[in-house]
Amino acid sequence: MEDYPEELRTPPLSLVSIVGSVIQGRNTKLVVILVQTQAGDELSEDVTVALRKRAEIDSKHLVVLIERDEMEWTKSLNKSVLKLPLNLLLFYFFLKLSFALFFFMCSLEVCLITCITFCIERLTTAFAELCTTYYKDEGRRVKARIEKRNFSSVELSIRYCFKVAVYAEFRRDWPEALKFYEEGIRVLREMIGTSTRLPPTQRLVEVKAVAEQFHFKIATILLHGGKVVGAITWFRKHIRSYERVIGSSEVAFLHWEWFSRQFLVFGELIETTSTTVPDTLSPRFGTADNALTEWEFQPAYYYQLAANYLREKRYALEFSSSSVSLTEGVNGLPESVMPSVYVGQYVRLFEQGDTVAVLPLSDTEYTSYALSEAERFQDSYEIIALFRKAYESFQSLGATRMASACSGGMAIEYYAAGDFSNAKQLFDGVAGLYRQEGWATLLWENLGYLRECARKLKSLKDFIGYSLEMAALPLFSGSGQGNSENRSKNGPAGSPTISSRELIQQEVIDILERKHASENTYDEFDLHLMEESTHLDIDQISPLRIVLLASVAFHDQSVKPDSAMLVSVSLQSHLPCPVMIDKLEVQFNQSNCNFVMVSAQEDYSASNPHVQIPSLTLFTDKWMRLTHEVKPGQSGKLECLAVKATISKRLVVCCQAESPVSMEEFALWKFEDQVEALPMKDNVLAFSGQKLIQVEEPDAQVDLVLDCPGPALVGELFTVPVTIFSKGHAVHSGELKINLVDAKGGGLLMSPREAEESESHHVELLGVSAVTMENGSKEEVDSIRKIQHSFGVVSVPTLCAGDSWSCKLEIKWHQAKSVMFYVSLGYSLDSTEEAALHRLNVHRSLQIEGKIPMIVSQQFLRPFRREPLLLSRIRSSSDDDKKSSLAFNESNMLILSARNCTEVPLRLHTMTIAPNDDGKQLCSVQQISGISNEYAVIAPSEEYKGIFSVNPQTISSSFCLGEICLSWSRDSSIGESQDSRVIMKERLPEVHIEEPPLVVTMECPPYAILGIPFTFHVKIYNSTSLLQEIKYSLVDSQNFVFSGAHNHAASILPKTEHIVSHKLVPLGSGSQQLPRITVTSVRYSAALSPSASAATVFVYPSEPKFNLEKGHSATDACVS
Amino acid sequence: MIVCVAVVGHQNNPLYLQSFTEADDALKLHHVVHCSLDVIDERVNNPKRNAPALNETFLGLLYPTENYKVYGYLTNTKVKFIMVTTDLDVKDADARNFFRKFHAAYVDAVSNPFHVPGKKIASRSFGARVSTIVKSFGSGTTA
Repeated sequence: MEDYPEELRTPPLSLVSIVGSVIQGRNTKLVVILVQTQAGDELSEDVTVALRKRAEIDSKHLVVLIERDEMEWTKSLNKSVLKLPLNLLLFYFFLKLSFALFFFMCSLEVCLITCITFCIERLTTAFAELCTTYYKDEGRRVKARIEKRNFSSVELSIRYCFKVAVYAEFRRDWPEALKFYEEGIRVLREMIGTSTRLPPTQRLVEVKAVAEQFHFKIATILLHGGKVVGAITWFRKHIRSYERVIGSSEVAFLHWEWFSRQFLVFGELIETTSTTVPDTLSPRFGTADNALTEWEFQPAYYYQLAANYLREKRYALEFSSSSVSLTEGVNGLPESVMPSVYVGQYVRLFEQGDTVAVLPLSDTEYTSYALSEAERFQDSYEIIALFRKAYESFQSLGATRMASACSGGMAIEYYAAGDFSNAKQLFDGVAGLYRQEGWATLLWENLGYLRECARKLKSLKDFIGYSLEMAALPLFSGSGQGNSENRSKNGPAGSPTISSRELIQQEVIDILERKHASENTYDEFDLHLMEESTHLDIDQISPLRIVLLASVAFHDQSVKPDSAMLVSVSLQSHLPCPVMIDKLEVQFNQSNCNFVMVSAQEDYSASNPHVQIPSLTLFTDKWMRLTHEVKPGQSGKLECLAVKATISKRLVVCCQAESPVSMEEFALWKFEDQVEALPMKDNVLAFSGQKLIQVEEPDAQVDLVLDCPGPALVGELFTVPVTIFSKGHAVHSGELKINLVDAKGGGLLMSPREAEESESHHVELLGVSAVTMENGSKEEVDSIRKIQHSFGVVSVPTLCAGDSWSCKLEIKWHQAKSVMFYVSLGYSLDSTEEAALHRLNVHRSLQIEGKIPMIVSQQFLRPFRREPLLLSRIRSSSDDDKKSSLAFNESNMLILSARNCTEVPLRLHTMTIAPNDDGKQLCSVQQISGISNEYAVIAPSEEYKGIFSVNPQTISSSFCLGEICLSWSRDSSIGESQDSRVIMKERLPEVHIEEPPLVVTMECPPYAILGIPFTFHVKIYNSTSLLQEIKYSLVDSQNFVFSGAHNHAASILPKTEHIVSHKLVPLGSGSQQLPRITVTSVRYSAALSPSASAATVFVYPSEPKFNLEKGHSATDACVS
Repeated sequence: MIVCVAVVGHQNNPLYLQSFTEADDALKLHHVVHCSLDVIDERVNNPKRNAPALNETFLGLLYPTENYKVYGYLTNTKVKFIMVTTDLDVKDADARNFFRKFHAAYVDAVSNPFHVPGKKIASRSFGARVSTIVKSFGSGTTA
């Protein structure tokens, strides 16, 4: 300020003083804002004093704004003293501020911003204080008047209350605001009956309008203060005080409109404050602990009621409009009516020349004005919007019934507004819930609307459907005898009674029969355009089940094709009047089973075969039971699909057939207290009857023969001939399925481990060879489709009746196993596609044993009367599974015996030993005796023996001699090629080959003659390079006398032979045991004694007379 | 004044519903009773909220609607009783007392050997008895 020249300082000061003088005496305060350029500038005392003195400015109301910058703009703001109404001042200030802020931001003078902010705070405080003081003063002033009852009318008192409350609200004194609002509304309530200032109708309108204001204020304050419970309780009170103040019936619509608005506004308030149920509230809603209920916390509840009351308004308006138009006709509507400046009052402007006067209205004038105003609005859409809001909210809350009620409300409004398709859709949705829970009366109302919607939409089918359902509804016992006048409340259908049910049914019949149908009925449905019949489909979930229910049960469980069986068809209807059925058509999935029943009264000349029944009349709640005989033609499933009833010639009701066993009761009739009849007379059938039956396959007239020649032998290619004889059926697209299964169970023909290791099977199906009887074409052989190890599919050529076809299955056994052999033939009777679905099957099975043909055993022998000392045999005598020991470089005998284990004679073609590669050089194997001819025949359980000489050329502890190869075939297969021979191989066990240190050889003539002495030599050969000391002993034999030592010892030089000789004289003839000699090696402590057979000689009584050759063969035989 | 009493079965199906008004608002009462089942569901399925009232059969005021107040009661066999009244102030004790008597009448009615459980109650004596109970409601006989 000091920067300014002295003369410039004065004007603002004088301005302030002028302003100060102007506002003096008024309830106006002045705030001065000084803007200083520099912070250092001290406001001189005299300026402050001058300011305070001239304009009585409090120090608090002098705000100093410091600005350092010397920009031009500051000048404009400099020392401006503003005397403006407070609000305007604030506005101006903020306008300036925003500009200043913008500028400061540009010059980045941050410190200034903080300074400004500080100043604003000060300003705010100053203004707030000023406001509070002002409103407090004003409030106190008005309050004093109320307290002193210093007013001329009640209206003024209410006005004062409102004023005080609003002032209190301004200074955030909520309790006081609330108190005065409540006081105001209390006085207002009293005014209803007392004030006579306005005519009664308008008075009521005014009171309500004011009450609405008060209520809104109170509710808002309570809700903003978080007092939800208080707000709701207040609302209840508010509603209770005004719900019966309807006024005259002519203007009742005004009341309902107002009433509905209360709910709407409160609902919106609740919604916007997003209230929750306070935790402090007792959870026991609706009891003494907590008078509130859950829904009162939901805006949807208020919306729903608002919609309800708005609907009430619509009804009242309709009533008022009709009565006014009836009584007055076209009356003079007062012109230029408008809302007055006062809340809830209406006036008429009266113009006369230049002067405009405001005239009060009479109640009649007001009523017609209000009526004309109200008629301009389409309430229906408002109601629908409210219901929709409530519906969505309730739906999300899970209150389905309440939501349905809202949905129903919407539908009724759509119906009233003429939007029938929307109405129908909504009604349909609601009807579902009522059907499910069995609320027959509610459903009745719903269906009544739906029926009318269908009528309006010209949908005859729907109309008939809804009408029949209505007619078949159970009556609720408690429903009163409604009068038809109250249709607005009960819907177009009126109250449900027996007579109305009968009427509805009759109406449908009349429409169908075109009987005394009035012209407008024709128009309604364009009946003359629709000559064809109407179809109604009733399935298991259809609501029309109560109209017609068809229960179908077969009397049998299964049946052969072409044989007759009985089927029961039972029909039930809940329609109140008897239903005459003209024609009853029962349909099956096999169309040839369909049958038609015709009432004898009707004259049907249909070409279809039909059954005439004297009367097909369905009586209320009674089962009509019909039994008929059907003959299924095809095998497979036979199911009753539908029962079609033709009623009054034009209505075809197609009712899905239901099995009695799975028939469900309909929810609506389930709860009726009545005797329930069973659909079938037979109790068993009534509870367990089925609408479907299995028709068995016809008996196959084809024979399948499996021929088994006996047990199969392991290794051979076993053939099983399969023959198909047609005994009456032609075989088309036949297929033979072959399956091999382990007879002992387990299914698979291999052990799991084997399956892993190799793909080999114990039993394998190798192939199929077809043998065609007529022509030997090879095509059939190629028709083998698929052969697996245990499974095969073979296609069978087309066979005519009487033909036969056969094939041979080749199976090979790898192991002796018993196998179940299944063969099934599937075929169809002709090659058409239809027949392909009904295939006939013939099954045969056979158990085949697999046997091992021969068991081969082997035996090693020493050469005759030559005994090598095999030390390993002596030492490891304890071993049970010891290997055979063979002497090195000695000829060893191997006897192989093959035993026929089967029950058929076998031919043995060859028996050889195939040494492995090493064995060939290291060991020479020679066959000594074998099959002399082409083959040897072995009878069952006989043995064949082959003799081999084995001369090992190496010393080995485990030597593999090789494999035995047997080639065999069945003896019966005469003229078979070599292919039928089976090679059977078996490994020879490993042997131990060692060099014997001593070899003992006995020499003795081939035979002896009684009494003639002969010499018996025992040669002991020492094959070692050591001196061997031996002992030997000879045991006496009673058939011989001998000369020589009984016991003796000898030393044998290396690689030399020691001979012990005895002279023997046989004393008895026949096969005699020689004296037993035991040779013991001292070094090895091993004793050797020849076997009993080796120490036997045949003694002839006298010199035999035969040539030498024969004698030789006799020895051979003896050996073998 | 009681305007309507109802018995609702397990499947929320009406078993008995009788209105006692001169006005023809039976249908409206059906709606009111049907909608009140939602509140019963809410109260019964919210055991946490009603923890102290496990064995309480009286459900209290279900909801006020228009000029009706709807009270509920749930028997141990989950059959619901619903009473609709137009009285502005209903004492809890009165409502409880009413339901107690009504329950007794219901038990007698379903104990009839000819009554099939789960079916509508068609007994006339039950109806007469209910009428008496309804008439005596709120008349101060709280015995």
